[in-house]
Amino acid sequence: MIEVNQLKKRFSLSRKQKKALHSSSPDNTGPGYAVDGLSFTCQPGRIFTLLGPNGAGKTTTLRIIATMLSPTEGRVAVAGYDTVRESQQVRARIGFLTGATGLYGRLTPCEIIRYYGDLHGMKRSDLEARQKNLFDLLDIWGFADKRVDKLSTGMKQKVSIVRTIIHDPPVVVFDEPTTGLDVITARNIIELIKNCKQQGKTVIFSTHIMGEVSLLADDLAIIHQGRLCYNGDFEAFKKEHRNVSLEDAFIKTVTAEVNS
Amino acid sequence: MKKFWIVFKKELIDTLRDRRTLLVMVLIPLIVFPLIFKIVTAITTSHVKKTMEKKLVVAYIESRPASGLFDLVREESLFDVQTGLNEEQIKNGIETGELDFGLVVSSGFVAEIEANRPGPLKLYFKGSEEGELAKKRIDKVLDKFEDQVLSERFSRLNMDRSIASGLDITIQDVASMQEKIGEKIGGFVPYLFIIFCFLGSMYPAIDLAAGEKERGTIETLLVTPVSRMTIVFGKFAVVFVAGMASVILGLVGLFFTLKNMGNLPIEFISAFLKGFEPLTIVSVLMLLVPLSVFFAAVLLSISIFAKSFKEAQNMITPLNFVVIIPAMIGMLPGVKLDALTAWIPVLNVSLATKQLMMGDADFTLLAVVYGSLVVLAVAGLFFCGYWFKKESVLFRS
Repeated sequence: MIEVNQLKKRFSLSRKQKKALHSSSPDNTGPGYAVDGLSFTCQPGRIFTLLGPNGAGKTTTLRIIATMLSPTEGRVAVAGYDTVRESQQVRARIGFLTGATGLYGRLTPCEIIRYYGDLHGMKRSDLEARQKNLFDLLDIWGFADKRVDKLSTGMKQKVSIVRTIIHDPPVVVFDEPTTGLDVITARNIIELIKNCKQQGKTVIFSTHIMGEVSLLADDLAIIHQGRLCYNGDFEAFKKEHRNVSLEDAFIKTVTAEVNS
Repeated sequence: MKKFWIVFKKELIDTLRDRRTLLVMVLIPLIVFPLIFKIVTAITTSHVKKTMEKKLVVAYIESRPASGLFDLVREESLFDVQTGLNEEQIKNGIETGELDFGLVVSSGFVAEIEANRPGPLKLYFKGSEEGELAKKRIDKVLDKFEDQVLSERFSRLNMDRSIASGLDITIQDVASMQEKIGEKIGGFVPYLFIIFCFLGSMYPAIDLAAGEKERGTIETLLVTPVSRMTIVFGKFAVVFVAGMASVILGLVGLFFTLKNMGNLPIEFISAFLKGFEPLTIVSVLMLLVPLSVFFAAVLLSISIFAKSFKEAQNMITPLNFVVIIPAMIGMLPGVKLDALTAWIPVLNVSLATKQLMMGDADFTLLAVVYGSLVVLAVAGLFFCGYWFKKESVLFRS
């Protein structure tokens, strides 16, 4: 489970950024919040979708959940552990995947998976068994000993998936995982997200692609300019906007929040 | 500690598979530099030999060849003596390279010699490096002639030749060959070590931090249950090892190059190799350890700050000069390790290494150098750790 409570994040700006901000808006005395008072809960066995335009604060929120960033205010708990005080415990229970494959080009898939398994403190026998299972499932053995920089994007993404879930984390975070990927590779990711749900994991994923929301979301949070515009059951959201497309519903929700 | 070794091992494998790193860390110090050193020395030696053995074209003017100098000049087998030219032709000939020297004996030369006065003589030549080297050969002939004139003069006057000498100096140079060579080229060796140490660390530092950011692997690493300190120290250790490996390989390369150089004087080689005695090597490496720690910490800190490989490279390139300049100052003659220079980073290592190679170490000053470097290294290391934990640096946009 992920519990986000009154989460706020403000980045300190460089002198150059402050100057640029001040010249574009002289009344602006300081930087705003990248994330401004978000509260939501992600339940195990359900897919929680963070929907928002670019710069809405999705990545910042997910990075805070994954302990890469610390909140300015508020609290986040992952699997019952506080992301600030018990960050190590949180990281042991989390898998994190982005659209960028994030692999070491000069290592082989086998070496990479062993590295992450070791970092997660997995026993060698458990690691090997889990690796075999996932490599079989995703058909990786054919290129398991080739250097990653010689692999296609699709192959890399498969390795990236294994790297994310090698330690069988109860919580998986996907930050715009299909961005820049071809249809087939993106489909692998979608399947992975569905599998994670079936296995009872807590899944949170961010996107700005409406099609993915329809395909995956159980719960939906729409964020814009760091603020929550909607938080609830996706089916309920669809019912609420029965007569309009999902895209129109999203724009309507965001506009209503901006106007208020 | 176990996780530190996991990070270290992976980063080391990754670094050793990077061609750019291998080129700078292994190939340059171990093969390219010794090869360049050997080629340059071979070219210089052969050039000097050629100049000394080259037949010199010497134009000679003496209206009435009665001085005996002409015979001496003609006797030289490697002189091609040409007569019948005027001074203008000599000047032009030297200018165009047809002539190497011109000797013009003035008309009153014999009379002046006979009157026990210096004989007026004009020597034309081109003052280039090659010209100066060849001049030594003509000087030898002129010295021989002068010696003959003076001997005849003293004998004619019934005087002892030694009357012309005011002093009878017996030179007792107590400096050993090792000291002399250490003084002359001792500055060059630490310069190389410092540069190798810096360059060897450079690419691994850039690749392991800025490179990770660019490839997006840093995020995947930060979400593992490993503390940031462990991650950064694992990376730091690889950068440090790369710098030290580069120095050691440079040392090995230089050692074998010198050992296999047949065209250098044997006393030079033996004195130089004396500087490679185990105790000297250990002492020099001990000095380079804290310097390498400091370099690794600074380079990694810059790389952590940079957003991309290119940005890190742009930031680090000017830093080369900050390292090269004090290392070069250490090569200058007269610059010595003292109470002031012992505190200046890089320069102090250069001068202390020079002292160690000369076998003339001042242990108090060496302690100051070592102590100041250790303080700097520890500070650099702590800063690097602090820097890696700062999210505004790590996720700089």
